[in-house]
Amino acid sequence: MSTIKQWSKNRNIVHELIRKNIKTQYRNSILGVFWSVLNPLLNMLVMWLVFSQFFGQNDPLYPIYLLAGNIIFQFLRSSTTMSMTSIVNNRGLLTKVKIDQYLFPLSSTLSSLVNFGFSFLSLLIIMLFMQLIGGYSLFGYQILGILLMLPAFLLFQYGISLFLSAIYVFCRDIQHLYTVFLTLWTYITPVFFKLDRLDVNSFAYKILKLNPMYYFLTYFRDSVYNMCYLGGGMASWKMLGLLYLLGLVSIAIGYAVYLPLKKKFINYI
Amino acid sequence: MEEKETDYLLKIENLNMEFKMPALRFDTLKERMVNFFKGKRVKSRRLQVLDNINCEIKKGESLGVIGHNGAGKSTLLKIVAGIYRPTAGKVDLKGSVVLLNLGAGFDMEATAEENVYLNGAILGFSRKQMKKRFKSIIEFAELEDFVKMPLKNFSSGMVSRLGFAIAIDVHPDLLLVDEVLSVGDANFQKKCIEKINEMKKSGVSFMFVSHNIAQVKNLCENTLWIENSKVMGYGPSEEICKKYYDYCTGNRPESAKN
Repeated sequence: MSTIKQWSKNRNIVHELIRKNIKTQYRNSILGVFWSVLNPLLNMLVMWLVFSQFFGQNDPLYPIYLLAGNIIFQFLRSSTTMSMTSIVNNRGLLTKVKIDQYLFPLSSTLSSLVNFGFSFLSLLIIMLFMQLIGGYSLFGYQILGILLMLPAFLLFQYGISLFLSAIYVFCRDIQHLYTVFLTLWTYITPVFFKLDRLDVNSFAYKILKLNPMYYFLTYFRDSVYNMCYLGGGMASWKMLGLLYLLGLVSIAIGYAVYLPLKKKFINYI
Repeated sequence: MEEKETDYLLKIENLNMEFKMPALRFDTLKERMVNFFKGKRVKSRRLQVLDNINCEIKKGESLGVIGHNGAGKSTLLKIVAGIYRPTAGKVDLKGSVVLLNLGAGFDMEATAEENVYLNGAILGFSRKQMKKRFKSIIEFAELEDFVKMPLKNFSSGMVSRLGFAIAIDVHPDLLLVDEVLSVGDANFQKKCIEKINEMKKSGVSFMFVSHNIAQVKNLCENTLWIENSKVMGYGPSEEICKKYYDYCTGNRPESAKN
């Protein structure tokens, strides 16, 4: 089969898999797909309440800081955990029809992108609310930076997804290890805490600088509201370059692990 | 010259298939670690599933595949469909192929409708193309009332009806049928046989795994008989089926089951 035909066939398959993933998510609920927006919105309200009222940060924009960081990290969390089991969970398809295995982690990652879109919508609603009530200027052209950043972030996640889904075929308990690792990763990423209290020479700061998610979060926050609020231009181009570098490194590692293992999948799933 | 090129649809030469089966199978890291420290290594056992298979299907002709359970029939079909890669040998297929087996490529959590579109995509059809076929597929499968129901609530007969309906609607050059007809009720079986005959007339080839010898004799010009991964007979269906029948009813029915 020609490559173009194969490519358009795979695109159709991914399209159908995403559709199926999103639909199955809220199948038995009355509100159905509406939950996709409602769910993150309610979650955000809870976080807003808990963290801004009880933790009493002095920053009026702290709710937005927290929510923006959280949806980006949640995006990574859901895409990678869903991808990890995707090859094994689709064994019914893999052992009965000819289909490229990488399509499963790919469609899981892209399904999470759709969910991220819904969360992002909720974030915009809350930002709009803040702007109208609090009078902060939050919306500007800088928000286009998100479109520049997303391909890099998808590459980054897809690399991790390939790695995990291939390993999971042979070691099912990587699932538990990864859950623990994700908890650790959440805490060494500035999702909840702010950096201004950290000493630049401290050990914690050095760890932070080695954490790829720190850069994704910073760029995302800068684009969504921070640069506009501070009256600056687009978020740092240098950092954007770094994000693409991180994405490429991740995809290279992912494929280096996935490709040699691929042939053995069919005997293990 | 060209005539010779298009002479056959499928040609299998010296096909060998070996599975490396780990005698001890470790699925988790914990097991791997524990057994590593205990000094146990994963020993694989080689299992010969297909041994030197040769056969050919001419355009428009059909091939029956018979033999006892575990003989290697389904593995052969999966190799032709491209799911397994053979250990050695050549499979030369000139055209499109669809494998039809029980629960063929279905996601049991998804609805019948979603599975039709997903399967369509796997077979290379866009959503738009499948929309045109959707009605006739559901009609043939007689599942009009169950379109929005998850497949896990279907009976096995309903699932195989859906699989069959999709496969016949996409008109491949070669349709591999793996014992699906035995699940549907008598009415549906009759409908399928009629459809298969109709498709045969329009030039579709079949590779037909079945335990129903009468069906094989009716539908296939040639038959391949596999027993314990080896070819026991290959040739005109009438002759091979008779040999197989004699073999089964002979004085060694037990030893034939491995």
